[in-house]
Amino acid sequence: MFEAIAFYLFAILTISMFSIAVLTSQALYALTSLAAGMIFISAFFFILGADFLGAVQIIVYTGAVLALYAFGMMFFDTTRDVVEKRTSPMLVFGMSGMAALLIVLIFAAPIVSDNIAALYPVQEGVGNAQAVGMVLFTKYLVPFEVAAVMLLVAMIGGIILAGKKMDTSLTLLDEDKSPLSVETNEKAAS
Amino acid sequence: MDTAYLIETVIKIVILLLVFSALAGFGTYFERKVLAFMQRRLGPMHVGPYSLLQIAADGVKLFTKEDIVPQNVVGPIFKIAPVITAATAFMAAAAIPFMPSFTIFGYEVHPIISDINVGILYILGVMAIGLYGPLLGGMASANKWSLISAARAASVFISYEVVSGLSLLAPIMMVGSLSLIDFNNYQAAGVGSWMIWSQPVAFVLFVIAAFAETGRTPFHLIANDHEIIDGFGTEYSGMRWGLFFIGEYANMFFISFVIALIFLGGFGDGSVGGALALLGKVSFIFFFFLWTRAAWPDVRPDQLMWLCWKVLMPIAVVNIVITGIVMMF
Amino acid sequence: MSFEKFKDRNVGEDGYYMVDIEDYPETGWGKFKQVASRSLKGELFVGLWVVLREMFKFDIHTVQYPKEKLPIGPRYRAVHKMLRLFESGTERCIGCGLCEKICISDCIRMDTKYDENSRKEVTEYSINLGRCIFCGYCAEVCPELAIVHGGRYENASEQRAHFVEFEDMLTPIDALKAGQQEEFPGFGAIIPGSDKSVKKTPLAY
Ligand code: SF4
Ligand code: SF4
Repeated sequence: MFEAIAFYLFAILTISMFSIAVLTSQALYALTSLAAGMIFISAFFFILGADFLGAVQIIVYTGAVLALYAFGMMFFDTTRDVVEKRTSPMLVFGMSGMAALLIVLIFAAPIVSDNIAALYPVQEGVGNAQAVGMVLFTKYLVPFEVAAVMLLVAMIGGIILAGKKMDTSLTLLDEDKSPLSVETNEKAAS
Repeated sequence: MDTAYLIETVIKIVILLLVFSALAGFGTYFERKVLAFMQRRLGPMHVGPYSLLQIAADGVKLFTKEDIVPQNVVGPIFKIAPVITAATAFMAAAAIPFMPSFTIFGYEVHPIISDINVGILYILGVMAIGLYGPLLGGMASANKWSLISAARAASVFISYEVVSGLSLLAPIMMVGSLSLIDFNNYQAAGVGSWMIWSQPVAFVLFVIAAFAETGRTPFHLIANDHEIIDGFGTEYSGMRWGLFFIGEYANMFFISFVIALIFLGGFGDGSVGGALALLGKVSFIFFFFLWTRAAWPDVRPDQLMWLCWKVLMPIAVVNIVITGIVMMF
Repeated sequence: MSFEKFKDRNVGEDGYYMVDIEDYPETGWGKFKQVASRSLKGELFVGLWVVLREMFKFDIHTVQYPKEKLPIGPRYRAVHKMLRLFESGTERCIGCGLCEKICISDCIRMDTKYDENSRKEVTEYSINLGRCIFCGYCAEVCPELAIVHGGRYENASEQRAHFVEFEDMLTPIDALKAGQQEEFPGFGAIIPGSDKSVKKTPLAY
């Protein structure tokens, strides 16, 4: 009973949060509701007994990914509404709604006909983290490693892109050579 | 899920909220007194004997002050940000065992709200969400100091989450569980079995990360009074600012509990002495937070990032690798 | 606790030394060495020890102001006082009006009349402390050393204009008898040893 109540409560909360994220034209509302929605999603993991995934959902999506979005938002004035250019809102709304529905149907149809059964049900006596670990390092070892290598590549790429000028210290640079000085900027402009 | 369990949980939550809100107030009193004594001052002296009623006076002041919402702020976000800080601090407490379980009127009470088997991960995660208080408050405030502080909050939290997570990984590998109760039982044998002796590096790293995540003095950049006014709190007044305050101090208490439970043996074998020892350890760690504030200077934001990514994170990774090798052979 | 050392304003050169500041490390390795040495040398713990020691010594320097007050310098210029002659106990002010004239804030008001001895007597005398800037000119100009500055510096008032009357400033006669009136060594007072520098007026014209 409690689980049903919790499920519907969090379902409503999640959907409304994500709707706000999509429909609002105020960047901060979108960010906040997206973060809140991510947290509410983790509630479903907790209801299902997958504590580990729930905590990871909170840490990764809310704690890290959305905080990185927030970094991006530092560069514009978040206290103003974003003016969007909409040519035909009805068409966009209809099309995207249809597409979303289609995707859900495509993915859901075989599952429904299958009489949903959990592939890796929560086992008694085996902790959540252990269960996830076992699946990750046996059945999904190759995808897991590939993902790890890809992330490593992305990290090194990021360091190289960002780190080109990291050795020169702006504090120690001569006044006229600094990219912040007026003269350098004038020279660059002319 | 029977009704007794439900009632017990609700009672526990209420007690936790009341006790730690009050403790947050006492925390400010102790902070002012300790800092004052260390700086050869007396601190507050006039409200009641030795100003013990200062907390009440501050509480009355915060509650009755006008709640100002400036003109250009993003209203709803501005209003909700302090609530996030306070709420996440208390949510993190749900997985902390504050005392060994005891029996009262023939009913066994576990002083932990929910013993989920990923306790540590949950606490780290919820503390990570604490980021949204300063972040949203700062970005919604339409104030440059607040914005700088929001940027700092985001970078500090993201960076030090990595350090705290990685440094805890080695102890977690040794214990083989994520529940704080298992951690406690692992170290129940006595002082010799404390995690701090087998994982000193992880201990130091985690304490450093704890300082960064609670924004205490050597890393007090998020609301650095002498350069960015009060950071994200600049535009706040009255109880909204008070909520930020309660959140900060509650966070300090909870992280002290976490450090004591993970590295310093927690409540040991669960006797009364063990419970008192836990309180002693927590008080000492809390005192340490205040102590460093009197003794150490702040670092610059870029030094903080440098320390995190180029020093602490590599050490944490090496620590994990060494722990793994030792455990394997 | 005595306040003696706070009164000693004679800050000499001794006890000061230059702090040697290391050069800022340029390379990453240099920076790392700096951090490592700073964290391992135990300087951080020295700092911790110093503040802890102070806490246990409990050598508190707080002055709890309304209850305790720091002594102020004898030449401090606060709310005025009117002195009496030591010998006869009559008030020193002769009603010459110089103080009223010189006051740059125009805050002294006085009225005089001749008394029965054909001596000038002050009937009204007030200083508006809301305007007074405590410059000390009145004390300096007073030929009789009658108006001087006292040590009362708490001027809080409900109004901007806050007056002191002649009677408030005048040394009470019993206080004079008790020997509590002291000569003011500040502005306008006679320099110690000034007798020696006074030349006799040559009368032999
Ligand atoms: S101290 Fe200066 S301003 Fe005050 S009454 Fe004397 S002359 Fe006037
Ligand atoms: S106080 Fe001094 S200057 Fe003023 S009227 Fe009296 S004698 Fe003259």
